[in-house]
Amino acid sequence: MYGYHDLPVDVEEEGISISMERVGERWVYRRKFGDEEVEKLILGDEKRLIINPVEPLNTPKEITPNLLIEFEKTLLIGAGEKKQVFLTFPVEIGIFISEKTNKNLEILDVLSLVRQKFTLYGEVSNGVVCKYWKSRVYTSPPDLDPLQEGVLELTLRNSSSEWAKISKAVFSAYGMKLYYDGAVFMKARMDILNRNTAETSFEPMPSNGDRQSYLFKGRKEAFGVYGIRKLGLVPIKFYMGWGL
Amino acid sequence: MIPDIDPANLFDIALNPAAEDPVTLGDILTFVLVLSFSVVLARVLTLYLRRSLKDRVSSDVVEPLLRLLYYGFLGIVLISILPLIGLNPSGLLLAGGVAGLVIGFASQNIVGNLVSGFFLMIERPIKIGDQVEVNGISGYVSDIRIISTLVRTYDGLLVRIPNEQVFTTNITNLVGHPVRRFEYTVGIRYSDDADAAIRIIKDLIDKEPFALQNPSPSVFVNDLGDSSVNIIVRVWAPVSEWFGLKTKMLWQIKKTLEENGIEVPFPQRVLHLEPGDKKRPQILESIKETEEIENVLNHEERTLY
Repeated sequence: MYGYHDLPVDVEEEGISISMERVGERWVYRRKFGDEEVEKLILGDEKRLIINPVEPLNTPKEITPNLLIEFEKTLLIGAGEKKQVFLTFPVEIGIFISEKTNKNLEILDVLSLVRQKFTLYGEVSNGVVCKYWKSRVYTSPPDLDPLQEGVLELTLRNSSSEWAKISKAVFSAYGMKLYYDGAVFMKARMDILNRNTAETSFEPMPSNGDRQSYLFKGRKEAFGVYGIRKLGLVPIKFYMGWGL
Repeated sequence: MIPDIDPANLFDIALNPAAEDPVTLGDILTFVLVLSFSVVLARVLTLYLRRSLKDRVSSDVVEPLLRLLYYGFLGIVLISILPLIGLNPSGLLLAGGVAGLVIGFASQNIVGNLVSGFFLMIERPIKIGDQVEVNGISGYVSDIRIISTLVRTYDGLLVRIPNEQVFTTNITNLVGHPVRRFEYTVGIRYSDDADAAIRIIKDLIDKEPFALQNPSPSVFVNDLGDSSVNIIVRVWAPVSEWFGLKTKMLWQIKKTLEENGIEVPFPQRVLHLEPGDKKRPQILESIKETEEIENVLNHEERTLY
């Protein structure tokens, strides 16, 4: 399903039906999934449909740019250690319309096949609402359904002088970079500052050199809903100040 | 008698020739022009800043800031050009001190509102767009001005509250924290399985995206009432979704419980009548004397002996 589609288009997978057909002078976009039906009219020619995974923060309603992943089992990492683990994250499917040259993108629709849940990170008085996801911790990338879940390669670096217990990680969508090709991937890091605080960020595809690494090899960078917005000064790192 | 005026020297005509530093018509014109230009410039600048900051900074921060910039800029310009019309700003300070006392006494309320407005902008207990309850008035804050605060009530009325009142009364900010809790009391029959009801309600909460995972919801039997076993349901939700979720979930709980054979009972009483009396009408009349109130086992078990 993921990829670039020239018009007219008609794709169907896992109960999702996406089509765009010409009716008279205009194009009609239709998407069906379960009881949900979306229909939009598009004026103009020489367009293309792009379907790719997007940041999991748009459905059922965009109320927060933060994603909290709770680990099924608590991790302990020693002082000064640097380790890599694999987690899962929920995937949302983004449908964009663009010019043939892939310029001037506009989001048409976003849907999700997974259970949606929100949570609060921090205190009731000053915490932040986050999208919630629970993940197992893997030592190697698991096989997942790319329409539902993606693999997050997380590098943990404990720069403190004591053991750190980690049961969750919070990320900001503004820095998210998703890659796909069969499976969906993200690469992130978590710098543990002390027992209770850490900073998380995403690592984009390097412009040269490291492209042969496991994650980036032969994968396409996905257009993100947050990525195509013209943003001002927004923090792309997330400071976890209410515990790990 | 009108003096002869040379049109070329029109702007050099002194309006107060006896003064040490006479003010000419040209000075007055310059004063008016500079002030008008500054007003236009301040408006253009604030408009430009408002547009460019619109998507980046929230309006509750932008608006007071722009207002401060607008009036601050005009104030500085006004003080700088006062000498053009023969007014010395340092002299004004002295005059202002005396005048301030007089004006202060005469306009205590206005000054009170002004000062309160200033502190409201600094302390920021409420912001533009917040849902608040001030002095019995509930609604959305649509603007915080220097003298007053405007509130749009839920039924669409615009209420102007003087800032002094806002500042000195209790303010309840309904969206002051990121999350908020709501609570239901759900009564079920004594014959129903309360554990099953709790499980069903928990499942419903779990399926609802905006019912927060943490702080976790709580569902428990709170009270054995006259007619029902009362279950308390407490759910946290993001403030933006609180009302929608609250209005949606109660009916969902009621329907799902009924689908599973668990009913919300009506208030009811079980009446036990003494047996043995032969005349039925007399028995009926004596109901009031012999009735006994008991906890109800079931709606269907209402019995007459």
